[in-house]
Amino acid sequence: MSLSAISIQNLSKVFDVPFRREPVQAVTNLSLEVPSGEVYGLLGPNGSGKSTTMKILLGLVAPTSGSTSIFGVRSTLVESREDVGFLPENPYFYKYLTGLETLLFFGKLCGLAGSTLRDKAHHLLKTVGLSDAADRRLGGYSKGMLQRIGLAQALVGDPRLLVLDEPTAGVDPAGSHDIRDLILGFKAQGITVLLCSHLLNQVQEICDRIGVMHQGALIAEGRIDDLIVVPNQTELVLENASPDLLHALAQKAVDSGARVIDERRAHADLERFFLNITRNRR
Amino acid sequence: MPAAHKHSPFSLLRVSALAHNTLLELVRLKVFYFLLLFSLLVIGSSIFTVKFSFQNPLQVLKDVGLGAMSIFSWLLGLLCTASLLPKDQEDRTLYTILAKPVSRFEYLLGKLSGVFLLLTLSVLMMSVVFAGVLGLREQQEIIELTQTTPAEQLPQALETLRAAAFQANLVPGILLILLKALLCSTLTLLLSTIATSSVFTILTSVVIYLIGHVQGIAREAWLSGGGDVSSLTRVLSAAVALVFPDLQLFNVVDEIAVGTVLPMPLFLQVSSFGLFYIAVYFLLAQVVFSSREL
Repeated sequence: MSLSAISIQNLSKVFDVPFRREPVQAVTNLSLEVPSGEVYGLLGPNGSGKSTTMKILLGLVAPTSGSTSIFGVRSTLVESREDVGFLPENPYFYKYLTGLETLLFFGKLCGLAGSTLRDKAHHLLKTVGLSDAADRRLGGYSKGMLQRIGLAQALVGDPRLLVLDEPTAGVDPAGSHDIRDLILGFKAQGITVLLCSHLLNQVQEICDRIGVMHQGALIAEGRIDDLIVVPNQTELVLENASPDLLHALAQKAVDSGARVIDERRAHADLERFFLNITRNRR
Repeated sequence: MPAAHKHSPFSLLRVSALAHNTLLELVRLKVFYFLLLFSLLVIGSSIFTVKFSFQNPLQVLKDVGLGAMSIFSWLLGLLCTASLLPKDQEDRTLYTILAKPVSRFEYLLGKLSGVFLLLTLSVLMMSVVFAGVLGLREQQEIIELTQTTPAEQLPQALETLRAAAFQANLVPGILLILLKALLCSTLTLLLSTIATSSVFTILTSVVIYLIGHVQGIAREAWLSGGGDVSSLTRVLSAAVALVFPDLQLFNVVDEIAVGTVLPMPLFLQVSSFGLFYIAVYFLLAQVVFSSREL
């Protein structure tokens, strides 16, 4: 049995807030597993505990109880980060470094050096489409370019797990589409991806499974197709169906006791599911 | 699928990458240029201001030069170190760095090494200007002496003059000025791991700097001022002496400035004292920072 890329067991996190009697419960008894090679979407409204969970996973915050591990290594240990690439939300890098220097800096932090690192940096710049801007300082990069250099730095250590926090936040639709394609490329390479995003259509396109957090707890989890299915309805997608055929089918359905709701394709999208499930808990 | 790497708990490559980047970050700060330029101006312009003093011109130059180096290196270390951690956290670059296989110890060491590099370079530049100013004034004095001193007294006068100019005995003094600045920077780093604002860090560091300069004198006054000294006073003064470094020890530089040759054992003693406090403050900073939630 292969190791889970991410294993979270009974995780809870309580923050003591100065001058307040009541501590803040950020995460409550969270357990989830992300198998290797999967793209997992962690969704939830603002303040639902996603960022805290990510920070605990990356060793930036200590859990109050429970445990998290990455490929079997507890994430409180520095070596667990050997296998992780992280892109924070709205990444800010050192403005005075060029794109190439940024990758060389982060590469050195991953233990790379010399021509291996330089070749790797150039390869990654090409992958994210920034070869032409390699020698420009990040102070002059656009939002989309910063996201892409952020993705490149996340990849510089050859991670087996990518943690992406809002990778397309503030990026225009074309840039967003490019980043989506890059993530699908990572999946094809067998890299596990943990994705946090509010762009639910994109999550629906990219992710194999999702987990929805609300007020610190995981309130739904599973394959997207299973979660958004409308149980008592069936979609029949036909190609080149004539009006006569459609009419006959509709008539046949009515005769058999079924009710034809709509002749158009049903639109049960992830966004509706997400809003329903979180609103019902308020 | 990429393979897992073998992790080494400490990597000089990671620390040097962080130190180099910190140095780059700091030399781009306006405060660095301002302080360095101002210190060089103070040291350089002293060659003109000696004319308004009744003291030996070379002595005045040494007093002003070493004093300026001491004050500006301390200020530079203080202002540069205080903003390092808060800025990285505010900009979230701290998250990106610590999400790599970088321990918090390596991160802190890299940051502090960057500050040390900056201070070393700054003190080196100040020393070059200081030596240049002294050398220039020495040449002027030699020309004046050769014109005004009788030939039979000239060798003796020249020897006295050269003894007052830039000599090798100034080097330990400059090293101690650097060490004092490094010590105060490490203390500031420790404070910045505890504090939540740079202003608080700077103010507290300044207060401790002042305590560090007067605590030796105060202790001396308490303990040798006659009368009974309670055991509580002794314990308190011992606690203050332990927590705050006695920066007055570094004032041996004043003796060096007047031409006293610093005995090697004393130099080693003061250096060891400085290095000990640097190590203790850094380890305390590491303890605080490693348990801090980011």
